[in-house]
Amino acid sequence: MDLNIKNIWVLNIGGQEVWITETIVNTWIIMLILIALAIFVRIKLRSFKTVPEGVQNVIETIVEIYDSFALDALGDKLSYHAPWFFTVFAFILSSSIFSIYGLRAPTADWATTFALALASLMLMFYTGFRHRKFAYLKSFVEPNILFLPLNLIGELSKPISMSFRLFGNMLSGTIILTLYYGLTPYIAQIGIPIFFHAFFDVLFGALQAYIFVMLSLMYIRNASE
Amino acid sequence: MLEALASVEALASVINVAQIAAAIVLFNGVLTVFGQAKIASQAIETIGRQPEAANSIRSVMFVSLAIAETSGIYGLLIAIILLFANPLLNTFLRYIG
Repeated sequence: MDLNIKNIWVLNIGGQEVWITETIVNTWIIMLILIALAIFVRIKLRSFKTVPEGVQNVIETIVEIYDSFALDALGDKLSYHAPWFFTVFAFILSSSIFSIYGLRAPTADWATTFALALASLMLMFYTGFRHRKFAYLKSFVEPNILFLPLNLIGELSKPISMSFRLFGNMLSGTIILTLYYGLTPYIAQIGIPIFFHAFFDVLFGALQAYIFVMLSLMYIRNASE
Repeated sequence: MLEALASVEALASVINVAQIAAAIVLFNGVLTVFGQAKIASQAIETIGRQPEAANSIRSVMFVSLAIAETSGIYGLLIAIILLFANPLLNTFLRYIG
């Protein structure tokens, strides 16, 4: 583990340098694992029975918990957003969990979290425009035309604060674990870091994934009403 | 020789000021934690009074904790930028050439 994001490979496409960093490689590794898991679940889905057992139990529990949470936060009318945010939740959670195995968490790079937050912002604009048409556009000039820049800044600061929150939490965990691995002798690196990993990766990762998804759902619901 | 020494001293002072600034920035954690503690204590009090509404209170509590945490996270990021990617340092190096 390292503080800086390592640059693995530099592509040269038409005179433009494209950097393949550690973040991109780790993102693809996590994506491959998640896709393999999804295909595995899809194959298992054919042999599902009315009375669940084994793997089916686990999958049904996860989906039911998420469904009740998302329907609670979104309402019936907007429930078509729920699958995308389950993907985001799974990605954020697994990216912080895989940093236990020495992969640098992709969410400890601002580019990843800002991309996720920007997707939430786009969904928010899309939802607002789809459900309220021009009343949504009118809400930007709400009390007065003079308030347009203020409203725009208020909307655009949402993805920035959301992405910085996730990024800061993941980066602080990475820094503390790097300091621990760098400062302690080799004998202290067996067993004891488990507690740090459990606290900074699993607990904070789950909490921040929950908060990220919850805030996005809240913004989307506010935009549609 | 003397000029080089003076520029090294100035460089050291720039780094010193950045590190002191990073330490001061981290003090906003005090206020952040105070606000978060207030949110958590109020939520616990409300759950004690109305245990049947515990689930909705808990989710609201997590969201407000996250929002209160934002300023602390901003401070942490500013401290990290000052320590590891100091923008003043580049400006200064360009200034002395």
